[in-house]
Amino acid sequence: MNPSPTPASSGPNPPPLEVHDLTVAYHKKPVIYGIDLAVPEGSLVGIIGPNGAGKSTFIKAVMGLLPHTSGRVRIFGKPYAENCHRVGYVPQRESVDWDFPVSVMDVVLMGRYGRLRLGQRPTRADHEAARECLEKVQMLAFANRQIGNLSGGQQQRVFLARALAQESDLYLMDEPFVGVDAATEAAIITLLRELKEKGKTLLVVHHDLSTAPRYFDRLLLLNMRLVAFGPTAEVFTSDQLQKTYGGRLTILSDVAQSIGTAP
Amino acid sequence: MRKRLLFPALLLLVLGLEPAAAARIGTLSETGTLERVARFFALEDASLRYALVGSALLGICCGLMGAFLVVRKLALMGDALSHAVLPGVALGFLWNMTRDPVAIFIGATIAGLLGAGCVQLIRNTTRHKEDAALGFVLASFFGVGICLFTMIQNLPGGNKSGLDKFMFGQAAALGRADVLLLGAVAVLAVGAVFLFYKEYRLTSFDPGFARSLGLRVAFFHYSLMLLLAFAIVSALQAVGVVLVSAMLVIPAAAAYLLTDRFGTMLLLSAVFGLCSGVLGVFCSFIGRNLPTGPFMVLSAAAVFATALAFGPRHGILSRWWRQRSQRARVSRENTLKALYHVLEDEGFRTEQVTLRQLAERRRETLEEAQARVAAIQRHGLATRNVDAVAMTPQGWQRACEIVRNHRLWELYLTHAAQMAVDRVHDDAEVIEHVLGEETVRQLEKRLNYARKDPHGKLIPGVEDIRQGAARPARRATGFGKEAAQ
Amino acid sequence: MIPAFDWQRMVIAPWTEDLQLTLWVFLMGFFVTAACGLVGNYLLLRRMALVGDAISHSILPGLVVVFLIFRQTNLWIMFAGALLAAAVTVGLIEFIHKQSRVKADAAICISFTTLFAIGVVMMSLLETRGAFHIDADCVLYGEIAFVPLEPFVTLGGVELGPPSVLRMGGVLLVVAGVIALFYKELLITSFDPGLARSLNFRTGLWHYGLMGALAVVIVSAFESVGAILAVAMLIVPPMTAAELSDRLSTRLWLTVAVAALSALLGVHLSIWLNCSAAGAMVVAAAGLFCCVWLGGLARRRWLRRQVA
Repeated sequence: MNPSPTPASSGPNPPPLEVHDLTVAYHKKPVIYGIDLAVPEGSLVGIIGPNGAGKSTFIKAVMGLLPHTSGRVRIFGKPYAENCHRVGYVPQRESVDWDFPVSVMDVVLMGRYGRLRLGQRPTRADHEAARECLEKVQMLAFANRQIGNLSGGQQQRVFLARALAQESDLYLMDEPFVGVDAATEAAIITLLRELKEKGKTLLVVHHDLSTAPRYFDRLLLLNMRLVAFGPTAEVFTSDQLQKTYGGRLTILSDVAQSIGTAP
Repeated sequence: MRKRLLFPALLLLVLGLEPAAAARIGTLSETGTLERVARFFALEDASLRYALVGSALLGICCGLMGAFLVVRKLALMGDALSHAVLPGVALGFLWNMTRDPVAIFIGATIAGLLGAGCVQLIRNTTRHKEDAALGFVLASFFGVGICLFTMIQNLPGGNKSGLDKFMFGQAAALGRADVLLLGAVAVLAVGAVFLFYKEYRLTSFDPGFARSLGLRVAFFHYSLMLLLAFAIVSALQAVGVVLVSAMLVIPAAAAYLLTDRFGTMLLLSAVFGLCSGVLGVFCSFIGRNLPTGPFMVLSAAAVFATALAFGPRHGILSRWWRQRSQRARVSRENTLKALYHVLEDEGFRTEQVTLRQLAERRRETLEEAQARVAAIQRHGLATRNVDAVAMTPQGWQRACEIVRNHRLWELYLTHAAQMAVDRVHDDAEVIEHVLGEETVRQLEKRLNYARKDPHGKLIPGVEDIRQGAARPARRATGFGKEAAQ
Repeated sequence: MIPAFDWQRMVIAPWTEDLQLTLWVFLMGFFVTAACGLVGNYLLLRRMALVGDAISHSILPGLVVVFLIFRQTNLWIMFAGALLAAAVTVGLIEFIHKQSRVKADAAICISFTTLFAIGVVMMSLLETRGAFHIDADCVLYGEIAFVPLEPFVTLGGVELGPPSVLRMGGVLLVVAGVIALFYKELLITSFDPGLARSLNFRTGLWHYGLMGALAVVIVSAFESVGAILAVAMLIVPPMTAAELSDRLSTRLWLTVAVAALSALLGVHLSIWLNCSAAGAMVVAAAGLFCCVWLGGLARRRWLRRQVA
């Protein structure tokens, strides 16, 4: 049950995501400790753990949105900044300002911004690509709506379309199933599977244990440190879940707090 | 709160002295600075007395109200309201074309409350956020006020209205009626806060809980807003529209930095307000007819800066000092730990360590090792004879504790958090200095009082440490043998 | 005290008899309001409306300081002073907020009032020595009506116009140009800083760039509308536009239209009531917002009744 990963191959095909001894001590917020893993290409990974286990922190730390205390992150064998165009991101719904004056189309087009030069406008091809992505999530009819005038499921699909428009090889999604209706949830998971079939790699923060084994082919059990990472069949055991959800590492979190607040 | 009785008394005292020569501060002829200082303290000018009492009173009102603004995170509400009262001032003046304090007071209060209502309305009926609503009220009310002001100035007789004094404030323009009004507002504010201290504190801290207790939260909120409008309006004359918000927020923020008790904060805030008011008048008097408001604000800012820098607990300097001494402590503890490791490597056969051994252990130069030893010597943790260093009982105890913390934490990380053995050292290097006894007890219990760390080294136990401390330094070597049994 | 409204004198005459005067006042008002409004749109979206308030106040000490150093008021020196002031304000707010437990709102209030007080004191000290001549009132509400009295700029023998109007027009053009060129970058860093950073956009750089633009716009507006009315120009027209549209690009155009309308209404209002033109423009802008706001409320109520 030792979660330390197999030594990452630095050969011709570096893994989409390789994390080595990642520690984030974030002011008073969940802390993650010494995470080690290498995600193989073409896998659909669910990130699972109790509240405050550092799931979002992990995603954000991978993208460099939070400073690392120690450790190293490699995207296809390179530092994040050099390969950021190969990463697509779906933020948590609460973090979005739904009053912002942008239409559905504008939001999806933002997915293309990463490939445009400074000051360059989205081209006709970008518009075409955005349209296709909207079609894929069945939101084309809403292209001109302001994003606040959508239901929760529709909003989530828009952000999924934006991630699709990024045409990345590695997707990081923060709770895409929160606040969506059953139909949208089914549509999203079908889409995620399609992406996986195309050889994309997806990491999805998920909170629903009952659906997790059906949705994902690999699971990453997280509770401040990496509890287990591997194929769902191997990892989704009561023993491992007990470790993830049961024995809370009170001392670890207490001490982490005292460091965070220390003068 | 005893001050409540003091101020009316003081007010009566000053107002009782009839203005003998009603010289305005501004009409004084060219005089030397020293002479002006002397005049200030002689309190001969009636206008100066009015200015002083008025500023002191407004400092108290603003300080009290400001404390509520700061704890309720409404600081910018004060800014918006102070600008929003301007059209009310102009309308109050238009009432009978004189600077009648009461008419202006009423007009400005109405305008202020209208502004507060407007903020609420915009927030409730549009998608604009708080900042936009406040900015809108601030700027558009001010615009209306400017229009009215310029209209008045273009009216016959409007030019001498003295309304321009409302912009930056001129305490010298305070008259007897103004001071009486200020006194009334101060008594009202202090009285309300004194009577309903408990309710105001609760509704500021936790309105939801207050509501569940059946308190009328909205009533207390709006009565506070009314008092705030009173404080702003009465302070206008001396501080000016633009800077009233500073007199509300800065003394209160300074008090907020110095205390953790709300009552103390109110008191401190009022005192700071009072001091800034008086200091402002002093500077303005010495500086010959300079506007009073900016000087009051600068005095308040000086108080705030002092609190920010030298505050005993939250001050920057004291925090810097604490950090420094903590770094020094960590460094001392690392020295002790290195000494322990050297002794341990020797199998605890000797009780002294040479400087060279220490330097090698820490991978440092001899000079650095010397400095380290000197530091622990100063704290009575070790003694030194030429090249040989020996720990004192206290030093030995601390060294054991640090080593124990380090090894316990490593064990905890490898056991409970399942981290690889070669990973845990760096983390433990940091944690060992911050683990409290309480946490150590928990850790020991959680780890079933294990005696060996993941690297196979012995973990000093609690009774070992006590024993070591009880003995003279030279016998401390016995610890290792005991622990090994 | 309110003069009777005389159509001929209030509305027709300014554009026939006093064309020169009215035109330049109107143009100045329009340029100021439009430039402020364009920048203000982004402030509103980033919930930083009151940071605009803060910077507009603290520009005063910046101007006085650069005047003391260089002893002259040149365009570029003024810009430098404004940028300095903006940097100091933002830095001070951050410093107080980070170094103590004082919350952000109080930190904003403390920083800008203190800086403004320093500015006023320095100005009054200089004034008593006769070294400086910014009218204290001018700081607060400016005087747009003096604009046409400036000696006109001539180029090749052709009289172009008052220098401050031309300068403000230039600033407006630059602001509009920058927004047109970097629309994409400003949009994404305002809407979703997380995504922007994950795509390697320099969010910090855009933030400070916006603060810089704000400082430049305010300092150019300073003489004509003063510190506090500049805040109105920053906040009110974008709020009006926001009530009317939920597309950013549309809002930007609407802001310009609202700016033109408030400048026009303001000119006539100030002639009618014989009051400060800048103040009247703010009143007009606020009036427009109220119309749109209340109109929107009425419309929503009407729609609800239709449904019911």
